[in-house]
Amino acid sequence: MNAIVVRNLTKYFTPSKKEKKKGRARNPSLESRKQGNNSIIRAVDHIDFEVKNGEIFGFLGPNGAGKTTTIRMLTGILKPTNGEILIFGQNFWNNPIKAKQIMGHVPEEANVYMDLTGLENLSFIGELYGISKKERISRAEQLLKKFELFEKRHLKSKKYSKGMKQRLLLCMALMSNPKILFLDEPTSGLDVQSSIIIKKLIKDYNKNGMTIFMTTHDMDVANEMCDRIAIINRGKLIGLDTPENLKKLKQEYQAVDFYFTKEAKESELENLSSVKEVRKIRDYYHIIVHDLNDGICEIIEYIKSKNLKVKKINTYEPHLEEVFLKMVNGGDDY
Amino acid sequence: MRISKEVFGVKGSKKLGLTVQLRRAAAIAQKDLRIYYNKPPVIVQGIIFPVILFFTFTIGRKIPTPLLISGLMAMVIFLTATSIGPFVFPWETMRKTFERLITCPVSVKTILFGSMLSSFLFGVIFSLVPLVLGIIFFSLQITINFLIILIAMFLAAFVFSSFSLILSAPPTDMPGNIMIFTLLLKFTILFLSPLFMPIRDHPLAWISPLTYFVDIVNVSLGLESAFGHYGILIDFAILSFFGVFFLFLAFMLHKKTLQKRFRN
Repeated sequence: MNAIVVRNLTKYFTPSKKEKKKGRARNPSLESRKQGNNSIIRAVDHIDFEVKNGEIFGFLGPNGAGKTTTIRMLTGILKPTNGEILIFGQNFWNNPIKAKQIMGHVPEEANVYMDLTGLENLSFIGELYGISKKERISRAEQLLKKFELFEKRHLKSKKYSKGMKQRLLLCMALMSNPKILFLDEPTSGLDVQSSIIIKKLIKDYNKNGMTIFMTTHDMDVANEMCDRIAIINRGKLIGLDTPENLKKLKQEYQAVDFYFTKEAKESELENLSSVKEVRKIRDYYHIIVHDLNDGICEIIEYIKSKNLKVKKINTYEPHLEEVFLKMVNGGDDY
Repeated sequence: MRISKEVFGVKGSKKLGLTVQLRRAAAIAQKDLRIYYNKPPVIVQGIIFPVILFFTFTIGRKIPTPLLISGLMAMVIFLTATSIGPFVFPWETMRKTFERLITCPVSVKTILFGSMLSSFLFGVIFSLVPLVLGIIFFSLQITINFLIILIAMFLAAFVFSSFSLILSAPPTDMPGNIMIFTLLLKFTILFLSPLFMPIRDHPLAWISPLTYFVDIVNVSLGLESAFGHYGILIDFAILSFFGVFFLFLAFMLHKKTLQKRFRN
């Protein structure tokens, strides 16, 4: 069963009088998405996708692409102009309170209550989810220990560092033990230690069956953590697949880099049936092949026959960042 | 359907009923009281203003004790019950904690009711101060009907905390802006109210909801109602009307402006 199903989801904004007067939208990146003269801004434009139960789903896009607007619609902050959101098969807007009961949300900006302590923040959120006092305290303490905040539990959260606040936000989102966790840029601007803790714990929770929906700018995080990735640009979905498939989709050629202990003959390598092209770059050979497996096998045979020794082999594959940039700048439609 | 039941819980809808929402509103009220009671705008509008205005209105004037107590109680309950609400919404919009509340399983009405409850409690607690002072210093000079005063206090706190929800409806994220706007409105209402003077002496007194609270307190302290023999009943009826009207208007306005808070 899908945890989230999004059908034809759309969000249009009408600029306020003030914005109309100034002649621009609050978010300048949305300006270019105005529809003709009627000044409607298409923040999210008829998107469809599904998030499977138990997967980590990444939502990527450049600034102003519509990521936050989408996550805000999925968490009930913004009401869609059009379209449908199903949470475990039930229409979100038919009973938003019931749907929110099984969701946790970590926004991009740390919105903890600065005048409450870490423990008080968690206890308050627990109360809003209807957790009993005894259970609240026990869960809060467990989470604070897990996220290495227990020692600072009685400190007002305005005294927490950015990383600590982000961890507290995660604790708040996890207080109700949600089935779906929404994360908006969870590791953005964090120190290495906090980032590692957060990534590890997200993976742990996912292993225990929690569905994760996360937006991120960090391609390494997306590549490392997400089962599937959707790419949104200018309000439209332009790609959705596993990181591996997305990379394949944009892979123009397959290649392997060989580092030999002594010079090899480029012409001989080029004569191999599975080799398309050979480029000598500094101390290695960038060999473009028709098929990676056949190519490597044939090149190794050649190496053996010529008594060459290999220092290092690298297979070439496009980085997710390249795929992302290509899709976003190339304007490919999904 | 079975999977949905497993996910959402069999008793899902029952569990999220009115009692649960009321409990959650109480949690929001408790949070508001804990966080905002000592914020400068709340202290200035809720405590310092009533004290300053009390002296401004009364020094050098010979005012009968019941009018002194009723005027002070009315001013305190009005200013304190309307001090937290208009501050909380823009502040929480600015800090994005309002978004946090919206993502929790609480309805907008629950959030509004929670905010109203904190204003209500703030108003009731602080308006007890002039009453207690009145009893301590003037108990020999006045007769007091406590029950009527208490009911009136609760009703007035309800009216003015509903009014504070109206003041908090503009979808701004700058508390300063809304505080200026609310001050202008609150001073206008104060000057339209017959504070520290006989109600009949004020030509526009009938406009202000404060008038009816003052009249009830005056009657409870042994004076005659300004609205005739059944004056106190009229007072309660009109105050109740104001309360329901303000609450209805506040819910309508917030429903209209809610989405505008999340444009950024």
